[in-house]
Amino acid sequence: MNRGLWWLLWWLLCWPLAAGAADDTLTTVMQRLAEVKTVEAHFQEEKTLAMLQQPLHSSGELYYRAPAYLRKRTLQPQPEDYTVDGDWLTVEMADGGRRDLALSGHPQIQPFVEAMRATQAGDRATLERFYQVDCAGDAAHWQLRLTPRDPMATRYLTAIVIQGRHGWIDRIETLEADGDRSLMTVTPR
Amino acid sequence: MTWPRRWSIPLLWLLAALLCGAIVLKTPVVADLTLFVPRDDPVAELLLEQLRSGPTTRLILIGLAGGSESDRAVASRALADRLRADHRFSRVANGDDTLPETELRTLFAQRYLLSPTVDPQRFSVDALRTALQQRLRELQSPLSVVQKRWLPADPTGEMLTLLRIWQGGLRAPAKRLGVWFAPNGDRALLLAETRASGYDLAAQRQVVTAIRAAFAAASAGTPIRLEMSGPGVLATLAEDTVRSEAEWLSVLAGLAMISILLLVYRSVRTVWLGALPMLAALLAGAATVGLLFGQLYALTFAFSMTVLGETLDYPSYLFSHRRAGETVTATLIQLWPTMRLCAATTLLGCLAMVTPAMPGLSQLGLFTMAGIVAAVATTRWLLPALTPADWRPPRPIGSGAWMDTLLIPRPRLALTIGGGALLILLMLALTAPPLWEDDIAALSPIPRPLLQLDQQLRADLGAPEVGQLIAITAPDAETALQRSETLARWLDARQAEGLLDGYDAAARYLPSQARQHQRQAQLPDPARLAENLQTAMAELPFKPDLFAPFLAAVAAARNAAPVQPDDWRGTLLGARIGLLLSPSAHGWTALLPLSGVRDPQALAAALPAADGSAIYLDLRAETSRLAADFRATALQRFAVGAALIVAVVWWGLRAWRAVAAALTPAVIALIFTVALLLGLGERLSLFHLVALLLVLGIGVDYGLFFSRPVADPLLRRHTLHALLVCCGSALTVFAMLSVSALPALHAIGLTVSLGVAASFIAALAAARPMIETMS
Repeated sequence: MNRGLWWLLWWLLCWPLAAGAADDTLTTVMQRLAEVKTVEAHFQEEKTLAMLQQPLHSSGELYYRAPAYLRKRTLQPQPEDYTVDGDWLTVEMADGGRRDLALSGHPQIQPFVEAMRATQAGDRATLERFYQVDCAGDAAHWQLRLTPRDPMATRYLTAIVIQGRHGWIDRIETLEADGDRSLMTVTPR
Repeated sequence: MTWPRRWSIPLLWLLAALLCGAIVLKTPVVADLTLFVPRDDPVAELLLEQLRSGPTTRLILIGLAGGSESDRAVASRALADRLRADHRFSRVANGDDTLPETELRTLFAQRYLLSPTVDPQRFSVDALRTALQQRLRELQSPLSVVQKRWLPADPTGEMLTLLRIWQGGLRAPAKRLGVWFAPNGDRALLLAETRASGYDLAAQRQVVTAIRAAFAAASAGTPIRLEMSGPGVLATLAEDTVRSEAEWLSVLAGLAMISILLLVYRSVRTVWLGALPMLAALLAGAATVGLLFGQLYALTFAFSMTVLGETLDYPSYLFSHRRAGETVTATLIQLWPTMRLCAATTLLGCLAMVTPAMPGLSQLGLFTMAGIVAAVATTRWLLPALTPADWRPPRPIGSGAWMDTLLIPRPRLALTIGGGALLILLMLALTAPPLWEDDIAALSPIPRPLLQLDQQLRADLGAPEVGQLIAITAPDAETALQRSETLARWLDARQAEGLLDGYDAAARYLPSQARQHQRQAQLPDPARLAENLQTAMAELPFKPDLFAPFLAAVAAARNAAPVQPDDWRGTLLGARIGLLLSPSAHGWTALLPLSGVRDPQALAAALPAADGSAIYLDLRAETSRLAADFRATALQRFAVGAALIVAVVWWGLRAWRAVAAALTPAVIALIFTVALLLGLGERLSLFHLVALLLVLGIGVDYGLFFSRPVADPLLRRHTLHALLVCCGSALTVFAMLSVSALPALHAIGLTVSLGVAASFIAALAAARPMIETMS
């Protein structure tokens, strides 16, 4: 038997184990994340868009409270406040404009919210309702690749890649279908 | 009597009955309420058009209740998809009504002509820079993913404006899971607009069936219930309800009358003999209306019940007056003057209802007239042909000496009753209680629960009620749009003042060509726009040639042909325009439905329409006004009918004393009936009036019979017996009608049963004493 065939056999034998291990990792990661009740953090975001000559930078603060409260408060370059609590999304703009909308009434927005909120909440069921979740690494250094299930969403979103350590999210990278992407780095406050 | 002569009348009758039957079978039954709207009022004409085919009559409100929330949302989407594929619907909305991609592109291509935010300042350096900065901020937002597709060709955000207008319109319901839901979440809501008018019942029936079928497929395997409402649906349901209710009530009434006949005369023959005049009346009435109108209004159909009750009287007179040693024909000849007079009074009373201005009322009148003639003729000529000459009911029950005590004249009682009636009249005149029902819904043959569901769905959907709207008429579409634009500016100002919540108008979606030309003229030439853009983009991070599509689009829009209503034919955009702007009898009509109007009268009074081309329609007030007008006319007719009755009674009796004796009880009975109705909390509607006319006819009949100059006390007993049977059967039948859920049948049943009882008592107490004390 030649070497290649041996490798193939080995791989075939190990693959279920590896898959099982990935599933175990996902379960562990989800458990770790679920144990976190509150998060306060700084974020830096860099958006790379085909339309612009240089990336857009923004920064601000993130707040999370288990199980369903998430707030992204942008401070630079202009203040903007996005708060999700349960089914309600409140947007407050720099000019004082305010919009309240129900997530369930806006199916194109909800996947973006859940990518972050359901992940931090360790809510695997919700996450898997919107995304196919691929887990790599181990509990100490993990990476989740979220691929949208809804064909409508795949028209503008390729994947969201989240990296973290134990119960902490480090970076969230959004890959859009047209090649634009954004990278959010999260640091403890 | 020879054989051929004996059978010629029944044969003739049978032939006539078959002919009538054939005509009736070919006559469609319709539930068009507009038949009851007068025809000679200019505003009414417009209103009629609205009631018949206006946008609001084409709406079908759909609720999906039961099951889980996500079940309902899924079913809503599936149902909407199926209905949108059906050409019978011009629009199906469930909150998920994003425009299809092709129509988005149409809208996008025409944005510089359509968007109201296009003005001379829009493309200055400052405005462009502000717009670009705004777009940059939007790019930063987490929600930018979906919006940015339009950016390179539309940096000033005209498409966003257009979409906002498209999704705006009147108030929309709250959404859950992406589709419309009732505020408490227990039903998903859809709104379908049919191409056919709400009063095209055949088409509406198909549409309702199509929705049921689509729902069955869309909700298979879930416990979801379908709820439907809207003018078309209600009309079809009303037709079904009227039909079934009239049917089972007529069966019940028929059974009751058979029992009465059997009980009183103890002969099977009386039953089928008694049924013949009734049958003749129904067939002749329906056939006459069918021949003259080509259709039978559902309410006329329901009304046939009243004729049914009255026609039993004629054979009863005959049966009760049969005596030994007298032929059937002889009895009839003796009764004939009175019977003829009775029929003539009812006939003339109904003649008053026949007027070309009111087809609905005319139908009721004609139906009754033809029915009465047929019933009397059947009694007079067919019944003797079908019975042996000396036939009489075997043992009429109830006739006896006790009747004589009843028949003793009691002048004091008569005076008391007459005085009482005068007192009541005085009291009514003094207190002036609310007399009339001006809500046109009271004319509606629709059962209350259906109306309640309709109101519930309407409230949930925030659907434009058949309420406040402004109608603009113009010789052509362009003028109609221009006038709408002028009016829209005025409405914007009133909205800012808080006088109304909002309005919709075709010109919102499709500006007039004049307006579009004006916008074109305001678009800068390519060189200047490029220069402005260059300056505006300085220090902003956009790529230099990013907005080339924008420059090209503005350049193209400067020379584009303006968008016309026809350009949108067959699209969702076109469907929305079509409902608000449509060709009419005198040119074009543009409609501006209003929502949340605080004070309709004030708004209507302030409406700037010097040229009279804009009319404020408060449909509810207008229909109430029409109902009142209608009632006034009906009342007039009622007076004419009463006068005719007096005339014919005089012509028949030729003695004022006898006329007074025959008519006074009827008048007293009318007063008591109205007083009783008001006492029961009823308000008088058209049906009460029509029923009162019948009561007058019946009252005169009783008066005539009781005041007949008859010396033989036995014959008087016979008369009392006949009238007791008539009164008893009428009371039974109409009391049954009065428990009906249909407002019309209830009104007729209650009025006639009260009236019959009052007439009988008044005639018994007052007719004889009057004739005897006066002679």
